[in-house]
Amino acid sequence: MSVGLTTFLLFASLTVLLLSGLPLAFVMGSLAVLFNLFLLGPQSLAMISSVVYGVMDNFIFIAIPLFIFMGMVLQRSGIAEDAYDMMYKWIGGIKGGLAMGTVAICTIFAALTGISAAATVAMGLVALPSMLKRGYDKFIAMGCISAGGTLGILIPPSVLMIVYGVFASESIGKLFAGGILPGLLLSFLFIAYIAVRSHLQPQLCPAIPPEERPTWGERFLALRGLILPILLILAVLGVIFGGVCTPTEAAAVGSLGSLLCAAIRRSLTWTVLKESCYQSIRLSCMIIWIIIGSSCFCSLYTAVGAIEFIKEIVAALPVSPYLIMAGMMFSLIILGMFLDPGGIVMITTPIFVPVIKMLGFDPVWFGVLFIINMQVGYLTPPFGFNLFYMKSIVPKNITMSDIIRSIVPFVIIMILSLIILIVFPDIILWLPNKLFK
Amino acid sequence: MSRFLHLIDLVSEWTGKLSAFLIVVLSFVVGYEVISRYVFKHSTAWASEASAMLFGAYIILGGAYTLSVGGHINMDLIYQRLSKRQKALMDIVTFWFFALFCVVLVWKGGERAWYALKNLEHSGSLWNPPVYPIKLLLPVGAFLLLLQGVAKFIRDAVTLVGGRDGL
Repeated sequence: MSVGLTTFLLFASLTVLLLSGLPLAFVMGSLAVLFNLFLLGPQSLAMISSVVYGVMDNFIFIAIPLFIFMGMVLQRSGIAEDAYDMMYKWIGGIKGGLAMGTVAICTIFAALTGISAAATVAMGLVALPSMLKRGYDKFIAMGCISAGGTLGILIPPSVLMIVYGVFASESIGKLFAGGILPGLLLSFLFIAYIAVRSHLQPQLCPAIPPEERPTWGERFLALRGLILPILLILAVLGVIFGGVCTPTEAAAVGSLGSLLCAAIRRSLTWTVLKESCYQSIRLSCMIIWIIIGSSCFCSLYTAVGAIEFIKEIVAALPVSPYLIMAGMMFSLIILGMFLDPGGIVMITTPIFVPVIKMLGFDPVWFGVLFIINMQVGYLTPPFGFNLFYMKSIVPKNITMSDIIRSIVPFVIIMILSLIILIVFPDIILWLPNKLFK
Repeated sequence: MSRFLHLIDLVSEWTGKLSAFLIVVLSFVVGYEVISRYVFKHSTAWASEASAMLFGAYIILGGAYTLSVGGHINMDLIYQRLSKRQKALMDIVTFWFFALFCVVLVWKGGERAWYALKNLEHSGSLWNPPVYPIKLLLPVGAFLLLLQGVAKFIRDAVTLVGGRDGL
């Protein structure tokens, strides 16, 4: 069979089986078995189990459940309540202050956790009722939480960046460093949007009336709420960027640190520990089993020569490299509407990254753009995780279409910043080049 | 029959829930290595291998539990629009792909584990732990996963022929 036909069959069967609703992990695992059997014969099946042993033995992947666990503990630790309380007292008196502060806390939370869910759920439970009670427009209130929550995968640490780093063979430290400035840029643009909207339409996000504002003493006392998160951020990111620890070790520091924070806040109950553990293993297994399936599947790409084949086709295209880039970004956004971001990274990275390198682009730069596309994926229907998280939190009278409407301006801002980052790649690359020579 | 299915659910649930606590152990093992290196000034001989073993166990033993709570993500573009019976039919068809993957993991993982057990294979590092416990986990975990899949398959078959619910 020719390489072209095999590659076509590989992707055709992948698409059909994905549409059947079989979980992603088993779609890729079973196709790897079938193609191995028919192309390379039964003796090649030992490769499947050795790939799985390889995943079980990969030290980098250990960071994934550790960062997930850290997020699950922090989400329940009460740190978000403290931070929101602080922010409420300081900027509640400004029009739109609570929404801007929510984005700011999501940014801090993003620097603490590597997943999108933690901040979305925590802030959804704390900030949303408070904003709605204060008469905030429900679209801004929901939108800023859903969008702010996605910063978790862009600002380090980031589970998705770890997966990208492994599948693209790129330095995870560089990717982490590359996410910092774009994350702050997005956060700034979200806040600027809220500020402008609430200035132009003052009734949207009313300020807390002066007589209800706290005294300066209360305000300074509330600053205590930031001590623990900031110490934890310094500990986790400090050891990674200081070159002292691997991401996995930093994740363990973070995981123990989050337990300590919860203990200090006196919220480390048996229920919190148990629920954090149970939810962590489900989420970790979901991701790692997709890694298992896709690692088997990807070893096929190489075995049949699909990557070389695709590279040749792309190289023969008579178009600008930027157009190919744009095509990739577009397909990532479309995939993001239907598939889990982790799955998208694992399916597309082995194909996209060799092409990106061939076109002369920086894979770290591309990785960060990739992650922002996945942030959009978290927000876009029909399959957007944060939409579902939000739906599970909001009062009954808010419908799914309300939630979808709330994210529109934020998705536009994300796409705008994608364009900014493509035009000015140094916003991404300056920090990694500075930190890692 | 329904008692058999319930038993499978319980086995998946409890292996998963017990394994869930390995993450705390894992945090301490990796954390201890960091402290050992920077406070006691020497690396441990065992932490890196031990953490890989804990991680392997955590992931493989949690697979069946994740399946039993519907945690493995799928693409539901078409799937979610199907009726309950159509979903059952679709799952019965795709079950064979799932089963094929699990069977290969049990079979080939089992061969590898048997080799390690027969030769009492050790890792060959300074710590030099035996490798068969971790090699054995893959066939065991994949078997539990397959079992949970079979339970779902039987339930789907019952749904399809329109029998009573609640199996």
